[in-house]
Amino acid sequence: MASVMKSLTRPLTPEEREKAFTSRKKEEVVKSQRLPVRYHVEDFDVEDRPRRFLEAFASILKHTNYRLALDHYVRVTSRCARCSVACPVYDATQDPRDIPCYRSELLLSIYRRHFTISGILRARVLGDPGLTDEKIQELADSYYNCTACRRCHFECPMGIDHALITHLGRYILSEIGIAPRALVVSVREQLTGATGNTSAIPLPALIDTLEFLTEDIQDEKGVNVPFPVDQEGAEYIFFTAVSDYMMEADTLKGIAAVMKATGDSWTIGSKYYDGINYGLFYSDQIMEHVLQKIQAEAKRLKAKKILMGECGHASRTAKYFYPTYCGGKDAIPVVSILEYTQQALKEGRIKLDPKIVTERVTYHDPCNFARTGWIIKQPREVLKSFCPDYAEMAPNGRSNLCCGGGGGTVSIDEVRAFRTTVGGRLKAEQIRRTGANYCVAPCANCKKQLRELMEDQGVNCEVIGLHDLVYKAIILPPDPKSEEETEDSTGNSVSLSEGGTL
Amino acid sequence: MTAWIDFARGPLFRLCFALMVLGLLRIFLVTLLGVKEAYQRNSDKIVSWKEIRRQTLGWLFPIGRLWRQRPIYSALSFLFHVGMIVTPLFLASHILLWRNSVGFGWPALSQTAANWLALLVIITGTGIFMGRVLHAGARKLSKFQDFLWPLLIMTPFVTGYIASNAVISPRTYQGMMLVHIYAGDLIMLMIPFTKLAHCVLAPLSQLVTGIAWKFPAGAGDRVTETLGFADRPTWVPNARLATEPEVAEPAKKGESGK
Repeated sequence: MASVMKSLTRPLTPEEREKAFTSRKKEEVVKSQRLPVRYHVEDFDVEDRPRRFLEAFASILKHTNYRLALDHYVRVTSRCARCSVACPVYDATQDPRDIPCYRSELLLSIYRRHFTISGILRARVLGDPGLTDEKIQELADSYYNCTACRRCHFECPMGIDHALITHLGRYILSEIGIAPRALVVSVREQLTGATGNTSAIPLPALIDTLEFLTEDIQDEKGVNVPFPVDQEGAEYIFFTAVSDYMMEADTLKGIAAVMKATGDSWTIGSKYYDGINYGLFYSDQIMEHVLQKIQAEAKRLKAKKILMGECGHASRTAKYFYPTYCGGKDAIPVVSILEYTQQALKEGRIKLDPKIVTERVTYHDPCNFARTGWIIKQPREVLKSFCPDYAEMAPNGRSNLCCGGGGGTVSIDEVRAFRTTVGGRLKAEQIRRTGANYCVAPCANCKKQLRELMEDQGVNCEVIGLHDLVYKAIILPPDPKSEEETEDSTGNSVSLSEGGTL
Repeated sequence: MTAWIDFARGPLFRLCFALMVLGLLRIFLVTLLGVKEAYQRNSDKIVSWKEIRRQTLGWLFPIGRLWRQRPIYSALSFLFHVGMIVTPLFLASHILLWRNSVGFGWPALSQTAANWLALLVIITGTGIFMGRVLHAGARKLSKFQDFLWPLLIMTPFVTGYIASNAVISPRTYQGMMLVHIYAGDLIMLMIPFTKLAHCVLAPLSQLVTGIAWKFPAGAGDRVTETLGFADRPTWVPNARLATEPEVAEPAKKGESGK
């Protein structure tokens, strides 16, 4: 496989390094928080930080299963550095501290020192003072350098999942108040705010948007495509990254068009309509509470299945953790819109016109879809069915490269320079090499990151969702009332391809 | 010196061997019990056994996947492991020792094959040692024991090879055997307590990881409760500030309202 990883070995220039790693925090904030990380952290108690960290760690170990993994990893870790070749961050920085195994070792060494008998005894003998503020700072910086893409997991002969350790490390840090402010503020609004979603979109605004989208589709396709709200007993209840309602109109129109074409009943819940779950990035407690909100809404509307929109982390949390927190095998099944559309296409329930999208198209695998092997073929099948000029990136599928904004870092605007010069450097090169006009990234996080990446790295490629393209090409059956307008609707959809996206 | 050698391959060997077997058995069972306990603790019983099996077998027989990354290092490491496991287990003189004391044996390698395998271990061992020393990343990651292990493991191979091949005086031969046996005993003794435990634990890694990604329901709330912050989870403003900030900020209703 012609991988970009081997051919792009230019080290970061000093200017790039400076740009990527400089903290934008004010000096007095750094001073008062005693934490020079690049991203902003809300005010928290800085006294006695090591003790508080260890208390949080102990409490988490007591109530969860992490001890199993930590015990095992501590025993088998061999520090062979094979994972270094899998990490896009390390590839850019060439800093040994960015090797996944080194990052994991930061937490494993704390575990070994404070929570294993041999570690405690050894510390007694050697007089090791234990956890210090400096070490916590190193953790706080290091664990948000990682994009939690889990690529290294496949390269560890010992089977260590460094992303699980990153997940745990961030969880412990958040319990002592160290978490990016961008994520904390969103979660606060989602769990306790008036609007109940991360982007603080009030319900009337949502309804307005949906009506506007329906009118838009009517204009463009000549068909009435509704966005049903609060329909009890619908087959599917739909959740997507709530930011899509502001940013990704075409994706939503595509999804609604697909649902219209298949005729399955679906609904958006008015009490809760956000799929975003930042808990995956820094706190199990938050993950659980957000999923419970999804469950409550699905139950309220008596939906039979949960349909997740184009969002990697939201889909992964729903698919893999909804059963964890909401009933195991009896939990409501979770379906991704990507699976749904592919299935509908296979069954011949939607028709896509292969003459509309003639530009070159490539597909970016969001880590949260592809790493587990869950969604890789489905969107490709859809794309290949109507995009004649489809190009593949390398590597792709399960061993794809992260967009550079994974693990919640995309929401942290302070680290944009880091994301686009370090995290996404290989990705930009990958996309550039395909020569594609459209890069399809069915994930709200990937879209935001890739757009910033294309801009900062100067790659001329438009980043869109899968359903943006589907919307362009879909042939909708005309409404029964307005049969005369059939001709019009096809005509309109052709003209859309010239300048249709936002 | 003969007495020392006899002690090392008699009582000391038995002790080290027993400790190795019992130690490995212990950690293997402890890990399995941990997996079972974690599995029972979770309300979510959906585990992708197929994926766990696929990954486990993939790494147990890593012929296909080693070459993807760092191919030279990986090949060296693979051959090193093969030689290291096969040579001592199937060496004719080792089996003879075993047969004499326990009463049964198993087919042995020819002396030529054993020689080549021992050489292979020495060469690849040197290679992965150098790999660790020369690769900047690996060097930074490594602890003292990581450098020590390849050398320690090669010791019985080097001494054994010399003892059985080189023309040396009986005294040197005995010296070689002394080092050979004591090093072997030491390695066995250390296996369960060091990273070498991966010889039995590595096949469980994927299972452990798969189960560890399943979180027990309600754990997050219990964690905050234990910490005494049940009423102040992290999403509450100033959740974990011991003292209120000096300048009382007016509630920012304008930001979050509507």
